[in-house]
Amino acid sequence: MKFAPLILKHLRKNWLRTLSTVLAMAVCIFLICTLQTVVDAVNYGLHLGNASRLVTRHYVSLVFNLPNSYKNKIAAIPGVQNTTINNWFGGIYRGDMKYFFPNMAVEPEPFLQIYPEAMLPEDQKQAWLHDGRGCIIGRKLAEKWGWKVGDHFQLESFIPPYRIGKPFDFIVDGIFDTDPVKYPGWDLTAMYFNYKYLYEATGQRAGVGTITELIDDPKNAGRISKAIDAEFENSDVQTKTETEQAFRASFIAMAGNLALLLNGIGLAVAFTILLVTANTMSIAVRERQQEIGVLKTLGFPSGLVMALVLIEALLLGLMGGALGLILAGGAIHALPNVPFIGDVVRQFPGLGLSPRIVSYGLGAALLLGLLAGLVPALLAYRARITDVLRQV
Amino acid sequence: MSATEVATKTGAVSVQNVRKFYQRDSMQIKVLDGLNLEVPQGEFLALMGPSGSGKTTLLNLIAGIDRATSGRVVVAGTELGALSEGQLAKWRSRNVGFIFQFYNLIPVLNALENVELPLLLSPLSKRERRERAMTALRIVRLADRSKHYPGQLSGGQEQRVAIARAVVTDPTVLVADEPTGDLDHQSAEEILDLMQTFNQEFGKSIVMVTHDPRAAARAHVQRHLDKGVLTN
Repeated sequence: MKFAPLILKHLRKNWLRTLSTVLAMAVCIFLICTLQTVVDAVNYGLHLGNASRLVTRHYVSLVFNLPNSYKNKIAAIPGVQNTTINNWFGGIYRGDMKYFFPNMAVEPEPFLQIYPEAMLPEDQKQAWLHDGRGCIIGRKLAEKWGWKVGDHFQLESFIPPYRIGKPFDFIVDGIFDTDPVKYPGWDLTAMYFNYKYLYEATGQRAGVGTITELIDDPKNAGRISKAIDAEFENSDVQTKTETEQAFRASFIAMAGNLALLLNGIGLAVAFTILLVTANTMSIAVRERQQEIGVLKTLGFPSGLVMALVLIEALLLGLMGGALGLILAGGAIHALPNVPFIGDVVRQFPGLGLSPRIVSYGLGAALLLGLLAGLVPALLAYRARITDVLRQV
Repeated sequence: MSATEVATKTGAVSVQNVRKFYQRDSMQIKVLDGLNLEVPQGEFLALMGPSGSGKTTLLNLIAGIDRATSGRVVVAGTELGALSEGQLAKWRSRNVGFIFQFYNLIPVLNALENVELPLLLSPLSKRERRERAMTALRIVRLADRSKHYPGQLSGGQEQRVAIARAVVTDPTVLVADEPTGDLDHQSAEEILDLMQTFNQEFGKSIVMVTHDPRAAARAHVQRHLDKGVLTN
């Protein structure tokens, strides 16, 4: 601690250099942490899938619907215990994308059986099962808009077949919660309503986006998937059936290898900043050759002189890291409200600056500082008094 | 016991048959050639000679910031050649005060912090360090400038701070490399007065390299060096 004033005064004297180095480090840590948080959220979403659930969709793309008749045929396949239609409705609240929340058309009774994650009081459950225009909403969504059971709201879909010239009117029949320990990451900002309402309101034009199956044993997932797809192999609309986890993974894979891309960007930025910071530190040490010579003449051991340079570099890293984390925290907090990007980001319930990412960011910042300061510190360590003082 | 009495019993500096060569590419340059020098405790020695004669090299050997190619250098009872780099650094911090021609104060530290710098290596508390540094500044008559930075001081004042820094650890030997070389006449006189004070009142042995005959005249003994050999 007694050497702290020496280090701090150097940083303060060259405040412009210090500030620019800290900002460079901060940008680097901000990018790494923000990108890593997105990657984590994506990966987290992948692991939420239940192994006992399969998802069947159009073989070509999610964009195309399946015929309604497929549901009953799938239900008859051995090993399939229950099925529900699950259509992404794409409803927009107040006609503005910034108010978007996930909303799906499902079959209430099988949905609640297949998804025990959605926990409803019995009276609310019964209300929903018997109300064609009813819906259930997650607790967080209810809290966000102050909705209570019995409240009305309207949604208008951006998906052409679901656009009927007027918004869909919904009644809140229930507010579901979940067991966060048993079902971590279950989305409490989503809304589910009766598929029958959608089907009838669209003049029976609404197809089936996906069919979710509950199977008897996760070990049979491969066999049952093959059996379902084989059932429609020779029909006009072929299917692709996979586990819920694989479905989520393939959904995300549509954006390419996201993790590789984002980590690649992070690494490239980190490497660039490392070079810039190392250069800055080298200049700073080179400018202080006289001081290094004087310190050594006064009896400062070479190891201590080296440590002072390294601590200065680590301090720069720490300040950059802290600032970067603050920026990343702010950005991640604000991201769901950013137009367009927010719509994508809201799909990942696990989005947040986790303690692991904070440690990762700080670790990366310190490592950057250490690497940037290593060569200048070694130069300071090896500097011979007679040589450096002769240069003055 | 006065400084003179100590001087009769023990030598502060003993340089015995010292040779020093520098390697420049394939060429070996002889700087000191079998040099012998004794500086008794409490003596003020002036080393004179033309540029390139080896004065600064000899001073560096005595201060323990360079090593002899051969021969023995014993300062304050320690043979410096036997010490490792780490031991030598520790030895310097306790036994030698170095005064440079260009002061070499740390620009980001104020006068008090510059003087306190060598004490950071001691086990003293912050308060004790500050008290000692202030005492040293008082001796060089700069207590009122303790918060001033080197850039806010004149050359003479900077050198006085440098002297305070050199003496703050109470070293056995002060080595000065042309301490008045960058100063005007009046400032130079002040610096030489201070050095004399430290020699006469505090018993410090001083080895000073200088080109200035007036500075050399302040010393007890003047030795001339030429081509690595003492000529008187």
